[in-house]
Amino acid sequence: MATPTIHQPSATTATPYAGDREVVIRTENLWKIYQMGSEQVAALRGVNLQIYRNEYVAIMGPSGSGKSTLMNLIGCLDSPTRGEYWLSGHLVSALDDDELARIRNQEIGFVFQTFNLLPRTSALHNVELPLIYSGAPPAERTERAMAALQQVDLGSRVHHKPNELSGGQRQRVAIARALVNRPSIILADEPTGNLDSTTSNEIMALLEVLWERGNTIVLVTHEHDIAEHAHRVIHIRDGQVAGDTRTRRGDAVANRPPAPPA
Amino acid sequence: MGIREAIAVALGTLRAHKLRSFLTLLGVIISVCTLVAVVAMVQGVNTYVGSKIARLGSNIFSVSQFSLNEMTNPVRFMRARETNPIIRYQDYQFLRANARLPRAIGAQTQRTGTVKHNGRSLDEVNISGVTPNVLGMSAFQVANGRFLAPTDEQRRAYVAFVGPDIVTHLFGGANPLGRHILVSGQQYEIIGVATAQGDVFGQSQDNFVMIPLRTYQKIYGNQDSITLDVQARGARLLPATMDEMEMLMRVRRHLSWNEKNNFGIIGSDALMTLWHTLTGAIASVMVGVSFVFLVVGGIVIMNIMLAAVTERTQEVGMRKAVGARRSDILWQFLVESAVLSTVGGLIGVLLAYLFTLAAGALTPIPFSLPLGAVVLAVVISTLVGLFFGVYPASKAARLTPIAALHSEV
Ligand SMILES: Nc1ncnc2c1ncn2[C@@H]1O[C@H](COP(=O)(O)OP(=O)(O)OP(=O)(O)O)[C@@H](O)[C@H]1O
Ligand SMILES: [Mg+2]
Repeated sequence: MATPTIHQPSATTATPYAGDREVVIRTENLWKIYQMGSEQVAALRGVNLQIYRNEYVAIMGPSGSGKSTLMNLIGCLDSPTRGEYWLSGHLVSALDDDELARIRNQEIGFVFQTFNLLPRTSALHNVELPLIYSGAPPAERTERAMAALQQVDLGSRVHHKPNELSGGQRQRVAIARALVNRPSIILADEPTGNLDSTTSNEIMALLEVLWERGNTIVLVTHEHDIAEHAHRVIHIRDGQVAGDTRTRRGDAVANRPPAPPA
Repeated sequence: MGIREAIAVALGTLRAHKLRSFLTLLGVIISVCTLVAVVAMVQGVNTYVGSKIARLGSNIFSVSQFSLNEMTNPVRFMRARETNPIIRYQDYQFLRANARLPRAIGAQTQRTGTVKHNGRSLDEVNISGVTPNVLGMSAFQVANGRFLAPTDEQRRAYVAFVGPDIVTHLFGGANPLGRHILVSGQQYEIIGVATAQGDVFGQSQDNFVMIPLRTYQKIYGNQDSITLDVQARGARLLPATMDEMEMLMRVRRHLSWNEKNNFGIIGSDALMTLWHTLTGAIASVMVGVSFVFLVVGGIVIMNIMLAAVTERTQEVGMRKAVGARRSDILWQFLVESAVLSTVGGLIGVLLAYLFTLAAGALTPIPFSLPLGAVVLAVVISTLVGLFFGVYPASKAARLTPIAALHSEV
């Protein structure tokens, strides 16, 4: 057997914060193999990771190294070929389709590089979508979606359609959609990849606020100055974790006295 | 996701692709339109014919060479042609001499022919030989002049009572009384003109020439079977009168108790029944045709929904990524397909309504939109949308959320 299934804590898995903090994301020997006709592409080759509650993590690595693949698995958008993934202590592979939908709806907010908004509907309706699927009554839906849009500074653009908004504004709509159901985990795959640096900074400031509110944030980026916003950088190369380091901001945060338990 | 959202999404998609949606819905539109229009037509025509038959007088029935049963079935008709003798003038006289119950017995026979006057001619005219008493038993009335009289019958006079079509076509609307027409080489003097009755199914009811029955037989021979019109003395006596005529005919034909009638007794209710069978047959053919359209329409909808699923893979993926369950997506596409198809049904009903308005204005038939048929048609179109939406919708529901990441906004 080529891949051992026994749990072996990877030497590269850093634990910047002590074990008294709750692990929200834990992967064990995660493999993802894409079948391309007769050819097999191993996008992930045994990834072991632990991410703690309220951590701010950046994932970096060359193009094609498997970052998006990993994010999709973490976000329960796809399932691994091999290996296990625990989310807040639940074994994800044991969950059925509806439970996964509930997790995507309530536990995780996903922000895509290409925004992924409904083109013909207003910003408001786009942000309302997760609330529709969680069964919130219409009045509450509108109210909460408005609040989320105000939070991302788009209170004056709620009735605009995506093609009537700038790239940065579209991404802010997408972020409002990701946070409207108050998930504890925000996953962002190159959220600034299509934006200029000023707009990128606005988006990063938003993520910063979310982190301060207690959210766990995992973001994929190619840019070092974006990664500097995070507290921990995980490097991926050829589908494996190739490094796990704390950033300068991470050092500063770690030296802060721990927040009192909620 | 509630039904309101699903319908809103569906209507949004419809609005976004108006022409495509319309083309998609053509099958459903046509089928619902035919369905409703046919039911409206059959119902209107039935009412109309019912009132026409009622005008003949409900206490009137006919004695004729063939029964309705024989006339409407080719096999039975071929057999009856062997067994049923024609009804002759002597039969008429026999019944008149022996029947006690009827108020009146009339006789008539007819053929079509050409009528000429002064170089002008009119084809396909109904030439009838009638006894004078049919006047009270038929729908027409005397507008001008007089009807055929018993003396005309006795003298075998060459006189004619004509329908208004003859006056308009051969006399240019001028008063024809006392003038002559030529029918089958014989001159007839016009003694009266009937009131106009209009068309039934585009067939003019005013295109006739009536001459005395005896004159008719002198000219055309007595090989044409006569039909006897019998009028009972009121509705209560109608069954007994019919029995009496049947009995007398059997006596005259020397039929023993175990032989079948070799003639027909046709009441207006039997006519109505026949009519309903006929329109029922037409209606069921049309309903069958419209169901074929409906299935074709359903398949087109299925196709367009499959295309929509492919086109909106990214949307589906995104919806799943933000928490849509399989059932939400299934529901969304099912509702969309049902809404699409229902809109087609409603357009079809609207077209059928316009059709009945137009038909009602152009014909004397009282068309109305039958509510039951409208409701049924709309419900059926919804069901077709649901049925043919199941496959595309379940295909969409099975898509993975990851699909969202493979295309652009
Ligand atoms: N659906 C797929 N089918 C086949 N191969 C795939 C699929 N998705 C990704 N891959 C392959 O898996 C590998 C990792 O892809 P992934 O998208 O995770 O890279 P990435 O690190 O996000 O790259 P980038 O920085 O360019 O976004 C690549 O070699 C890619 O070609
Ligand atoms: Mg990527």
